[in-house]
Amino acid sequence: MSVAQIIIALVLGTGFGFALQKAGLTQYHKIVNVFRFTDLAVLKFMLTALIVAMAGLFGLGVLGLVDLPVPPQTYIVGNLLGGLVFGVGMALVGI
Amino acid sequence: MTQIIAYIKRDMWSPYIAGILLGLVAILIAVTATAYRDSAMALGASGAFESIFGGLTQLVSPGWVAKNLYFRAVRLPGLTWEVVLLFGLFIGGALGAISSRTWKIRWMPDKQWAEAFGQSRVTRWVLVFFGAILLEYGAGMAGGCTSGLAIWGGLQLAPAAFVFMGGMFASGIPTALLVYRRRY
Repeated sequence: MSVAQIIIALVLGTGFGFALQKAGLTQYHKIVNVFRFTDLAVLKFMLTALIVAMAGLFGLGVLGLVDLPVPPQTYIVGNLLGGLVFGVGMALVGI
Repeated sequence: MTQIIAYIKRDMWSPYIAGILLGLVAILIAVTATAYRDSAMALGASGAFESIFGGLTQLVSPGWVAKNLYFRAVRLPGLTWEVVLLFGLFIGGALGAISSRTWKIRWMPDKQWAEAFGQSRVTRWVLVFFGAILLEYGAGMAGGCTSGLAIWGGLQLAPAAFVFMGGMFASGIPTALLVYRRRY
């Protein structure tokens, strides 16, 4: 990786971390309570990010300014089993 | 302007405002990936740990890493885009807490953890250790975590993202139910 790429990744990662911190998702109870349906901040945060990024990316894509990213591969058994294992860890320790 | 600065300094933002910031970061990542013609530049966090492990193992046993199918085909070892993004994540989280003057070193998480599991530090550390193994193993199996698969895949409407999120809630809800059975 070039120095420019490292700086870009650091800046964008910082924005990512800043958003997570300000949404409160660095805290145990915020993560766990989404599985108890007592605090839906995780879903509000994620789905807002999805909508903003979708609208922005497809707009820029239509204008030919951005190549749409390669979507993650779908292999249902792996995605589902992985999700099941992941959910236990996430609900247990809140990370 | 002063109102905006005051809002930035707040401990907690509305999740919608924070979500907009993450959405903009995701757009900028795609712009960067376009500029460098590198589709490996994506939004993600969990894969970085494998790359760091691979990079460190390379120092001790380069032959093993070179032959390993996972490090050859799935996740490149060493200083990848996601590793640097992960370092940025720590900086961003710390800056977020410093901006609201709530940054501090703590051994234990918030009050709700103690209500569910007690005050023991050992309990916390043991559970976090094994919980984190489940997280990384699950993310490895599924091909991403909540960031790399659910958000980065979800914004492209990749079926994988929604299958993963379905699985995550299908096991997360019963787990929370077991932990909080009397106080649900």
